[in-house]
Amino acid sequence: MTEHTFSDETLMAFADGELSQDETEAVERAMEADEALALRVEAFMETRLKSQEALKPLLDEPVPEALRRKVEGLVAGNAEQAENVVRFPQKRPSVPVSTPRWAVPLAASVALVAGVAGGYWLGLTDPGGTSGLQAAYLGSPDVVQALHEVASGKEKDLGGSERFRAIASYKDTNGDLCREFEVDHPDKSTVVAVACNIEKTWKVQFTVVAARNTEGYAPASSLEALNAYLTAVGASDPLSEAAERSALEALKPQK
Amino acid sequence: MADDFGQQLIALLPRLRRFAVSLTRSRDLADDLVQITCEKALANQHTYEAGTRLDAWLFRIMRNSWIDRVRRNTTEGTKIDVDDAHYLVGQDGAAVTEARLMLNSTAEHLANLPDDQREVMLLVCVDELSYREAADILEVPIGTVMSRLARARKKIMAEMGIDAGTTRSEDEKGSVR
Repeated sequence: MTEHTFSDETLMAFADGELSQDETEAVERAMEADEALALRVEAFMETRLKSQEALKPLLDEPVPEALRRKVEGLVAGNAEQAENVVRFPQKRPSVPVSTPRWAVPLAASVALVAGVAGGYWLGLTDPGGTSGLQAAYLGSPDVVQALHEVASGKEKDLGGSERFRAIASYKDTNGDLCREFEVDHPDKSTVVAVACNIEKTWKVQFTVVAARNTEGYAPASSLEALNAYLTAVGASDPLSEAAERSALEALKPQK
Repeated sequence: MADDFGQQLIALLPRLRRFAVSLTRSRDLADDLVQITCEKALANQHTYEAGTRLDAWLFRIMRNSWIDRVRRNTTEGTKIDVDDAHYLVGQDGAAVTEARLMLNSTAEHLANLPDDQREVMLLVCVDELSYREAADILEVPIGTVMSRLARARKKIMAEMGIDAGTTRSEDEKGSVR
């Protein structure tokens, strides 16, 4: 019996090289005189070694091709983004990044970067001109009104030759109501946008400004970016007419 | 500008994947988790402190992502599918075939550890992080890391018949073996 007893934690820390110089020397001295102590230390070393050996095969496995390609795509996209502060939403990483089943909150933030440089609050006045570009397209309070009223598939004139068209409604993963809509402008452009009602405020999550074709709808190419966005945020399937109506009803101010 | 960060990230994929498999006990979920971790790492690259261990930083992101995922599933009342036949070392409490057990019994014992003990085993013994680094990742005091780690290793010793002689630990004073 030595003058000093050592706890398992201390001997383990010794085995792992985590003790201070003084403590290390104390254990070493004790081990010389006490074979049982040396055995206990050795057992801790062995568990470490055995664990490493046991999980080594996992390390040697090739990384699945799909995963490797996705991450390489992410890295490439990230580098591109760093060099290109102003990017068009279509310029996503060349490798399609499919969304993991449960990756929604992060993917949403990524898509936000791709879609619009920071959301802005619909219906607010332009704060000092920084969001002047977007506000010029969607700043009208009539848009907010229309978001509350117009059923998907229906249109509404906003005045000033602007035309609002509700496309679809869906729930995002937080259960917030989101609406996809288009606004035609007199200058022959169409804004394709998604706004979500978060804490009673419509917040634009995504916008693309597209030149309008003769039918008055945004061309399909700009919708690819939208689809990528919707996939990335894990949007639900579009709500039925009735579900949409009751969701909109629920947003009505109680006064 | 060479993207060193991205290259390092790609180089760490096998280790990220191993940690993910161990956390999720499912290869499919593990690959998703690795992807998420990489996305978050790239999005938050500026918060990584150069000179610190990138693997430790990534493990922390990964573990937090996994915890968020588990928590969200719990609140949503849905279940994570852990019944993945490809998972190397079986799953917690499940009966495993003897052949598989013989193949890699240590891995089996590791897999059967409670989550908090398994992750600390992985971080310290397998991925060779320091106690301090593990404590930072797990957001617990070093003392907690040490007690979990010691408990896990005693359990593995017992199951594998590693002879540790007479032992004495702080939380089982008086008991022998």
